Amino acid sequence: MMQRLLNSRSFRKYWKHKPAVVSSIIIAGYVIVSLAIVFGDLVTIENCEQRVAPKELPGFGLLPVVSEELNAQEEYVNEIDRLLQKQRKNPDTEEKCRYMGLEVVDRPPEQLEKEIEEYFAVADQLYQIDDIDDIVAEGGSEAQDILSKLTKAREIQRGFYTAESQDALARKLQLSLGTDRQGRSIFLRAVYSIKVAITVGFVTGILAVGIGTILGLIAGYSGGWADALVTWLYSTFASIPNIVLLMVLAWVFQGGEVDKWLNDLTNNYFEKLIGGALEETLIPVIIAFSATYWIGPCRIIRGETLKLRESEYVQAARVMGFSRFRVLFRHILPNLSHLMLINFSLLFIGAIKSEVILSFLGLGVQRGASWGKMIDASKSDVANGMFWQIGAATAFMFGLVLAFNILSDALQDILDPKHV
Amino acid sequence: MWAYVTRRILYNVPVFLGIVLFVMLALRVRDPVNSHLGKVKSEQEIKQLRKEMGLDRPFHIQYFSFLGDVCTLNFDDECWDHPGRSVGEVMGESIGPSLALTLPALVLTTLISVSISLVSAWFRGRWMDKALVITAVLGMSVSFLVYIVVGQYMGTTWLKEHTGFAPFAVSFGGYDGEPTAMEMLLEVWPHYYLLPVLISVIVAMGYDTRFYRAVMVEESARDYITTARAKGASRVKVLFVHMLKNAMIPIITRVVITIPFLITGSFLLESYFGIPGMGRELLTAVNHGDFPVVQAFTAVFALVYILSNLLTDVLYAVFDPRVRLS
Repeated sequence: MMQRLLNSRSFRKYWKHKPAVVSSIIIAGYVIVSLAIVFGDLVTIENCEQRVAPKELPGFGLLPVVSEELNAQEEYVNEIDRLLQKQRKNPDTEEKCRYMGLEVVDRPPEQLEKEIEEYFAVADQLYQIDDIDDIVAEGGSEAQDILSKLTKAREIQRGFYTAESQDALARKLQLSLGTDRQGRSIFLRAVYSIKVAITVGFVTGILAVGIGTILGLIAGYSGGWADALVTWLYSTFASIPNIVLLMVLAWVFQGGEVDKWLNDLTNNYFEKLIGGALEETLIPVIIAFSATYWIGPCRIIRGETLKLRESEYVQAARVMGFSRFRVLFRHILPNLSHLMLINFSLLFIGAIKSEVILSFLGLGVQRGASWGKMIDASKSDVANGMFWQIGAATAFMFGLVLAFNILSDALQDILDPKHV
Repeated sequence: MWAYVTRRILYNVPVFLGIVLFVMLALRVRDPVNSHLGKVKSEQEIKQLRKEMGLDRPFHIQYFSFLGDVCTLNFDDECWDHPGRSVGEVMGESIGPSLALTLPALVLTTLISVSISLVSAWFRGRWMDKALVITAVLGMSVSFLVYIVVGQYMGTTWLKEHTGFAPFAVSFGGYDGEPTAMEMLLEVWPHYYLLPVLISVIVAMGYDTRFYRAVMVEESARDYITTARAKGASRVKVLFVHMLKNAMIPIITRVVITIPFLITGSFLLESYFGIPGMGRELLTAVNHGDFPVVQAFTAVFALVYILSNLLTDVLYAVFDPRVRLS
């Protein structure tokens, strides 16, 4: 079987199409990451909702300017101060002193207090300088002075946290793309969104192509009232603009009434099954997409089935007395599989892009991260020149969508050369 | 010809009935009155509103009465979200801004992409063509949202910082008094609409260019092109006279198919730039549970969609006689 596939003409053509092979590898990478998130807890929802560092740290290897670094330092130091006061009020608590994934050093409170004072003695001098960033940018002796003070402040601040409290590489990765306004790691959020995108794309693709193929086969093969019914059904769904249909379906799931109804009906088994409220899962989004996207494959499969039904080999199979079911699934379906594959890859892209747009409009993913939510959150960042959040979401999404675009083009060229 | 057109109209009637049925059913899956007022109003008032909206009648009565409303374009139910205004008024006011945004965008996109696809077809297989195709694919792989967010930043903040020139508004605001038509065209429109239109053109260009290029490539392989070339017609003449004329059918079809989206406007652009068009109205209505608006707007979108489908069919029949006979 495998041997036959590898020797087939299509596979050899595919193998020669280098961009398509490279795109497949990239897609495989994304899928592996999303599998690792689903089954291996590579990044959990809590990870991407958690504060990991001061807010709005720049990413992409950019260093924060002096004023930004001062703000970040102050946040760390203030947190130590807060923890100390808490301990003073309530000396018995054995609360583990952790802050944003870092562990506070084990030192007597008096010494810590002294160090905090020492820190502010240095830092306050820096706070008093107006337009500190411009002075540093210009250089000169004043800038030298500021930088040496900054280094000193940085050393004191770093001393508050034990260095080996967290795997250094993991921390570096977390901060590599910066943080958002709530101090959450953009890297973790972008990686978690891979799972959302792949899940939505994959499930939608399979469901939509599945529904479309079955209905298309039945309509095309049996004709008569079944054909009329299916044609009416897809014309109806196709006559509502996609985005309007998605919005109407989003409306249906809003407010949790459907959720309540389903739970009452199934004695709360439903909630256990999906692990939470319906609104918080991806199910409404997936249902909306599947209900919208089955039309394309259905139309194409129906048309092809109509053609194949009249072909000689199908006529022969019918004359030989094979059952309807056997002719459909054993003889016709294999000759449509290339169309299913092409449509699947097209739908995958469509679903990922629409998910981003729906999340942006506030109708899509409700819990966790998604690229759409990240872009939505970065609207005001961009105006302030902070592009790392939108940049990260775009870059992650660009890789996946481009790879799929190239792959689906290649599949079309290889499997369905007559198509325009 | 007329037999064909009648057939198409008859074919679309059940489709329209189906859409209205589906939309009405979908909007009644959860109780619209309850989810809009459930927390703030008493049982009595909810009953009252349900009666006013006619939601207490049997479904088939509601269906036929709403169908009648849609066919006569009679939408005088009051909006839940804007007290004192009818759905029809809201619709009438929002259709203008939607068209002001999408109509110029459609015209520009079509002109530019057809020209680019001609260039691409002229240089077919050479580096110019390849570069254009690659650019189109790259452009298609970036989310629409990114174009909007970055486009707004570049067109407003960035442009102002770097050139001191601020022609575009960040988002839609009102205008003083009643501007004349000339002022509307020369001041208000460029200020509020030109930037979204440009963004929309850039986004749509990737998709359209690829489509039109495929059309041109298919057309250029036909026999009549070979014949024309063999008879000594120059490449320019073949490209612009013979080919473009025959490529008109798919171009017109695509343009007509886009008409419903002119009415829906560009949801994202409208909501991001705060343009008070139909897309934005529908989005707010969905978010606020404004049931009469959602129901009426979706039905009208579907009606427009079907009418433009009909128009496509008729135009097809006019331009291509073969269609009529099938």
